[in-house]
Amino acid sequence: MGMVTLSDDMFTADVIADPYPYYGRLREEDPVHWNELYDLWVITRYDDVVWMTRHHELFSNAVFRNDPRPAYPAIDESDLGLYEYVRNYQADQFIQHDRPEHLEMRKVVHSYFTPRAMEAWRPFVQKAVQELLDAAEHKGHMDVMKDVATPLPVLVIAQMMGVPAADRPHVRKLAEKLLNIGRGEHDRMKPLTEGMQGMIDYVSPLVDERLTNPGDDFISVLAAGERNGVFTRHQVLVNTSLLLLAGHETTINLLCNGTLAFLRHPEQWALLKEDPEGWAQRATEECLRYDAPVKSLQRIATQDVDMRGKVLRKDDRIRWFISSANRDPEAFAQPDRFDISRDPNPHVAFGSGVHHCLGATLARVEGQEVFKALAERFPSLHVETEVIEYQPSITFRSLKSLPVSWS
Amino acid sequence: MDRRLRVWVDHHRCVGNSMCEALAPAVFRLNANRQSEAFNPAGDSEEKVLEAAESCPVSAIFVEDAQTGARLFP
Repeated sequence: MGMVTLSDDMFTADVIADPYPYYGRLREEDPVHWNELYDLWVITRYDDVVWMTRHHELFSNAVFRNDPRPAYPAIDESDLGLYEYVRNYQADQFIQHDRPEHLEMRKVVHSYFTPRAMEAWRPFVQKAVQELLDAAEHKGHMDVMKDVATPLPVLVIAQMMGVPAADRPHVRKLAEKLLNIGRGEHDRMKPLTEGMQGMIDYVSPLVDERLTNPGDDFISVLAAGERNGVFTRHQVLVNTSLLLLAGHETTINLLCNGTLAFLRHPEQWALLKEDPEGWAQRATEECLRYDAPVKSLQRIATQDVDMRGKVLRKDDRIRWFISSANRDPEAFAQPDRFDISRDPNPHVAFGSGVHHCLGATLARVEGQEVFKALAERFPSLHVETEVIEYQPSITFRSLKSLPVSWS
Repeated sequence: MDRRLRVWVDHHRCVGNSMCEALAPAVFRLNANRQSEAFNPAGDSEEKVLEAAESCPVSAIFVEDAQTGARLFP
């Protein structure tokens, strides 16, 4: 064949540090690639990813129910029981369903997350960002991850859940345990299950209360789904956690990866600073494209599917790579260039099709407000470290920290 | 009687989430690309059409009064 064989290990240090050259070679040389090591298809072209996301009937999202294969990266053998707990928990999330059930479940929560409804959260987000930045400014230095990106989504989600102020530190602790969902460490199951069970224990009495006394919060929305027979109680509880499981790490990554992209591209940072309000929207879209929060997602083939001369067999495991699709030269001019003036910018950071990210508008609002506020308040911002490290995850593009300073 | 509506879907934005089709199947349906088309703006009530437009997660649906051109959504 004349091509150099690529290693199937997607967790090597250089691929975790910078996956784009690896994705680029697959996209060019073998866009529908069978990865022997992880027993899955690796899909890397934009057109293929869009086509697959729009053909949900061919690619099941009920992954935890339908994929009997073990966790990867591997976990401690003593934790296999905990992994069963995680599988059952995840399997009850509405996103881990296919039609027709998925549609009925999504309908319950969909109207809570419309663009107009999420736009109404902008003042709350603005205020939270200013308060977090006030505290960082007072300290004189900041880790964008620890001081802004990690607390912000939890503040918003806790408010959506109607969590009283006194309980927020508890929810924040649970949220940090739940972040283990996207990690690669062999001992991650223990803190993850503690976070999952902790959320169930915390939310259960709230659900009881809001079944009888509904408000305009998200738990009341889910409780109404239980009353209407769409959700079981366990589904209500795990879908409350889903706000954090799906909305925390992803938002952290948008905020941190985006900030890092700006600090590594001073001319784009200068452009944003000229008119933060005017650029915030397009800048956020480019951050989502250039270094997407979610690198790849998994599905299971529901039947044999022909793609580019290969046959994906029923029950085969599939991962499509958002981060690769977003750098496909067939879809984006100069795809490796970070360019906030890119317009249109049809990236697939939020996926596409029936499973398109429910929280997309909220993530956008948070990104826009953070990038705008950083440019306005910290024009001399720069990265404080030479060593940029990422979590060993196949799903998330997650920094370990992002220390910055200003003059 | 409901006024006549002009309804269209911006295909630069549409991601084929298909909530519009689920809410108003007599107005919207997915094409071969799995993007929505307002094939019959008079297929359901104005209220239902506006609900579908509001439910679009990427604000791809536009609604106007066909007579006056007044924008009804967004």
